[in-house]
Amino acid sequence: MDDQSHLLEEVRRGMIPAHIYNDEEVFRLERERLFSRAWVFVGHESEIPQPGDYVVRRVLEDSFIVARGEDHQVRALFNMCLHRGMQVCRAEMGHASHFRCPYHGWSYRNDGRLVGLPFHKEAYGGEAGFRRKSQTLLPAPALDTYNGLIFVSMDPDAPPLRDYLGDFAFYLDYYTRQSPSGIELRGPQRWRVKANWKIGAENFAGDMYHTPQTHTSVVEIGLFREPKAEKRKDGCTYWAGNGGGTTYKLPPGTLEERLRYVGYPDVMIERMKQVWSPEQLDLVGHDGFMVSAASVFPNLSFVHNWPRVEDSDDVLPFISIRTWQPVGPDETEVLSWFAVDAEAPEEYKALSYKAYLMCFGSTGMFEQDDVENWVSLTSTAGGSMARRLLLNSRMGLLEDDATVVPPLPPERFSGPGEAYVGYGEYNQRHLLRRWADYLERPAESAERIHVGRGGKAVTA
Amino acid sequence: MTSARARQRPTGNGGPYSAESALGGHAPALQRTGRSLPFSDERHLQAHHWLVEEAYLLDAQHYDEWLDLLTDDIHYLMPVRVSTALGAGYDSAPGMAHFDENKYSLSRRVARFATEHAWTEDPPSRLRHYVTNVRTFATEDPGHVVVDSAVLLYRSRGDVREAAVVSAGREDLLRRASDGEGWLLARRTILVDDAVLRTQNLAIFL
Repeated sequence: MDDQSHLLEEVRRGMIPAHIYNDEEVFRLERERLFSRAWVFVGHESEIPQPGDYVVRRVLEDSFIVARGEDHQVRALFNMCLHRGMQVCRAEMGHASHFRCPYHGWSYRNDGRLVGLPFHKEAYGGEAGFRRKSQTLLPAPALDTYNGLIFVSMDPDAPPLRDYLGDFAFYLDYYTRQSPSGIELRGPQRWRVKANWKIGAENFAGDMYHTPQTHTSVVEIGLFREPKAEKRKDGCTYWAGNGGGTTYKLPPGTLEERLRYVGYPDVMIERMKQVWSPEQLDLVGHDGFMVSAASVFPNLSFVHNWPRVEDSDDVLPFISIRTWQPVGPDETEVLSWFAVDAEAPEEYKALSYKAYLMCFGSTGMFEQDDVENWVSLTSTAGGSMARRLLLNSRMGLLEDDATVVPPLPPERFSGPGEAYVGYGEYNQRHLLRRWADYLERPAESAERIHVGRGGKAVTA
Repeated sequence: MTSARARQRPTGNGGPYSAESALGGHAPALQRTGRSLPFSDERHLQAHHWLVEEAYLLDAQHYDEWLDLLTDDIHYLMPVRVSTALGAGYDSAPGMAHFDENKYSLSRRVARFATEHAWTEDPPSRLRHYVTNVRTFATEDPGHVVVDSAVLLYRSRGDVREAAVVSAGREDLLRRASDGEGWLLARRTILVDDAVLRTQNLAIFL
């Protein structure tokens, strides 16, 4: 790690050694020091509403069955049979009371408890040879939820999720709590791109600067009502807690007028007024900012936008949640969900889904051009010349680290954290500074679990 | 095996997808009847010819001409496939698709490619749609046929990247054009064979 400390210092200065976007050694450190500790999003409670519902999700190579037990509790169970290590669930989603390993027939209830062990007495001498009681599929070391969003951490000592999110929770509510019922999630679309996972996270966190260039085409075809993509610089970026994002500046008006401007029907606006705090309402109604893209460290992103979905002047908002799941230093699996307020009118849900498909996801017209850039960047970052190049990620800073513009004062920005109007790479620096903090700290060895023996047992 | 169970198994082509989509309400609902038509049947020959001509337009990215082959009420649908246990009764993500398009949204996609700023296709991909396993079926309406086909798309970009391959089964509903000459596409369901796509995006059509 000694030779990496210099690299981390450069990153903290906002100078990015280009090879961090395609380097085996950096990826090894991310695996050992970052994804071994950080909270990682794996799904939403609405994906598994009934006892017995499950989805299978990964954190790097580790497969987890995210299941709702008969007790309604959500668990993330490591998808590996305690006997020979076979995957006990090979579907991606479904409904099951039990998971039975196809290899030797060990079976587990959907809360993880080992309940079937063929020939326990004959083969093991019963409990004397193998302690079946209280054995369970290995649970994720930590699991926590916020607004129904399910996160796991490989670190049993991870701080509570709410503490980890910090003040970003304020902004999460715009995406995931527009009514008391919260969101329902559909999908995900999944596809693999030959791009490093950090690029998407950085882009969604704060890159308003790319919009006028990368996304010119969607403005030209009238998908996007904002008359010019340059309007982005009137918005602000904010960073709070463990995440940050971008906003658009809305035209003058009341809270209701501004929410209608982005296409929310009055029934939804009324519910937002019930569930959002005065400060959350003021950010829109008083300050005139509407959240757009955002990222939570390390690899969870959100997007909220309001395109035209039909041949009319009306626009309609959509929300997408996605993870940039690392596959390797130069490959990422994107999991992109469509999210919508569970209480929204059915017609709204259908058109919001349409808006999502047109803009983001595997076929989205915004996303198509983003990925082309990120693949190209990753490919170039893999060579020796990239190691000589320190990319300048200091937009918004002067040579002496003073900011080009002052942060927004509280009377112009009601949310927590620090916000700046216009183009800047404040949030990308925040994200990569956290990345550097994680990469700097050596990994501790995890406790080992001896299946079916005395000593430390996995208990339900 | 019961017939109910048989219905739950993946078909590889077609199925209730269009009817189940929240955006499929406008779509024609006609289904196939009976066994596939003999290869010598005039309707089969025309349908096969239509698919081969269409593949040429998609390879060449002549999308304006392609749009002219679609009915105004088209439903163009590509579900998100998921691995589910045999007998689960579904093989695609509920309420989610890659494409779930009508004529308007397809026309926006085509219009975007016509701008000078659709970077993902500039330089353009080299595309080849291989179309095979064509089967044609009558419907209750003599003006419509259902056509199954397999399509393999080879998509190569730049000089150093590996090419992407997308394999899919398709079920099309073709409608006889009002002037009696030729056919138009009224409904397409694309059942891609990957749960996780191995292409950077779907800035192409299948």
